[in-house]
Amino acid sequence: MKKWISYGIFCLLIPAVVICGTVLFPAKRYAWVSLCVALLSCLPVFLQFERKSVDAKRLILIASMTALSVLGRILFTPIPAFKPVTALVVITSMYFGSEAGFLTGSLSAVISNFWFGQGPWTPFQMFGWGILGFIGGLLAKRLKHSRILLALYGAIAGVLYSAAMDIWTVFWADGAFNLSRYIAILASSLPFTAIYAVSNVIFLLLFCKPIGKILERVQIKYGL
Amino acid sequence: MKAFANIHPLVEMTYFMSVLIVSMFFSHPVLQTEALIGGILFCAALQGKKAARDIGFYLTLFLMVAVTNPLFSHNGVTPLFFLNGNPVTLEAVLYGVLLAVTVIGVLLWCKAYGEIMTSDKFLYLFGKAIPKLSLVLSMALRFIPAYLRQSRRVSRAQKAMGLYSGKSITDRVKNQARVFIAMISWSLENAMETSASMKARGYGKKGRTNFSLFRFYASDGVLLCLCLLLFMIPIMGAACGITRFTFYPRVDKIETTPAAIVVYAAFGMLALLPFILEVKEAIVWNCYRSKI
Repeated sequence: MKKWISYGIFCLLIPAVVICGTVLFPAKRYAWVSLCVALLSCLPVFLQFERKSVDAKRLILIASMTALSVLGRILFTPIPAFKPVTALVVITSMYFGSEAGFLTGSLSAVISNFWFGQGPWTPFQMFGWGILGFIGGLLAKRLKHSRILLALYGAIAGVLYSAAMDIWTVFWADGAFNLSRYIAILASSLPFTAIYAVSNVIFLLLFCKPIGKILERVQIKYGL
Repeated sequence: MKAFANIHPLVEMTYFMSVLIVSMFFSHPVLQTEALIGGILFCAALQGKKAARDIGFYLTLFLMVAVTNPLFSHNGVTPLFFLNGNPVTLEAVLYGVLLAVTVIGVLLWCKAYGEIMTSDKFLYLFGKAIPKLSLVLSMALRFIPAYLRQSRRVSRAQKAMGLYSGKSITDRVKNQARVFIAMISWSLENAMETSASMKARGYGKKGRTNFSLFRFYASDGVLLCLCLLLFMIPIMGAACGITRFTFYPRVDKIETTPAAIVVYAAFGMLALLPFILEVKEAIVWNCYRSKI
């Protein structure tokens, strides 16, 4: 039953929102429509998580990984855009699966924005970090074996994240997609994009081994 | 002054959602201005003098959004002047101003939401619908201050061991990373212990009861009905096409039919509701004080 709800969201609700958005709002307020879509895209994973009988260990593990990535974002506040959140989310999903990665990513976005400012961008960050974690979980086996692939994934994730957030900025500032503004924003956020990508690579390479060891040990010791 | 914070969370949530929906989806100058004014007054009432600190930030943002729109958008039929051969049109300028008003209005309302809807209210509202996620959320929120404290302890201990961090960026990153890794194994061990304790106390068993301090008074019911009524009027207005307002190719005239005025008044009332409540509370409070 719940499975059908998640399919329903993807197949019916999201297109419905998009169509209603374009029909009802002649000024093409894509920003708000895309906001609803971002929120709806997070729902299936959340519903799935609620439906399953999850034991307390897994629950609290996700909570503490979330708290750790928020802590990382707070600890590294002095260096702008240089944050270990993506790296931690990817490492979580590598060891505990796609779902845990998605939840850690999206909840980190919600919670860390209590510190860094809640706003209409929150759903985008939720979906952005969530999906980066989800994909990391799908690639888990390969990412664990090859450090080159891991670094590559980190770099691509940083660039994609930045480019996606820039699309949102254009929607927000323009109400519609404006290519020249998008290019201008892409160019002006280039340093940030570079720092995102570089910090992801650094943190993934730096953290992968030691954190992986800790997580594996916890898995064996407590039978996760 | 936090009269609005003492209302039942359900009413508060309904209120914020209705204001945010209107201010996000309606691109009408009157409604947007009302939302902005309501947001400014609400934040000022909530934060007092602290709110004045952010004025600079909001003004810069306002100018950035308002000025950049005509630079990137050349729609409209009334050119004001030409820049690099591209027309800067009156319509684009006005649309930029409206966008800036919307953006800042939504930001202010989000800020007020953050002040009013504290995590305990959020969990009270959604604890039944999404029990596991809200448990994860509340645990993570509780972990963060604890982890911050612990990370300070770890960092002090490492300093005492002679692991100083230099001034250079690589050194700082390395130092933070070292503290962070130590934090991870500590926090996971801690988490596993907590989960064992939860299990021992019967987490996941049926028949669990909740405790909360929130009570739904008659006045909350009245406020909820008022809020829904005031929200429905602009929605009806949108359905009848009253709130339709376009900037391109030419700016529409603002409608002044009786129906349109009812819509403006209703949303104005909705946007100002918390401010009115705060002012009323302040007056009542002063009245009581003067009687003493």
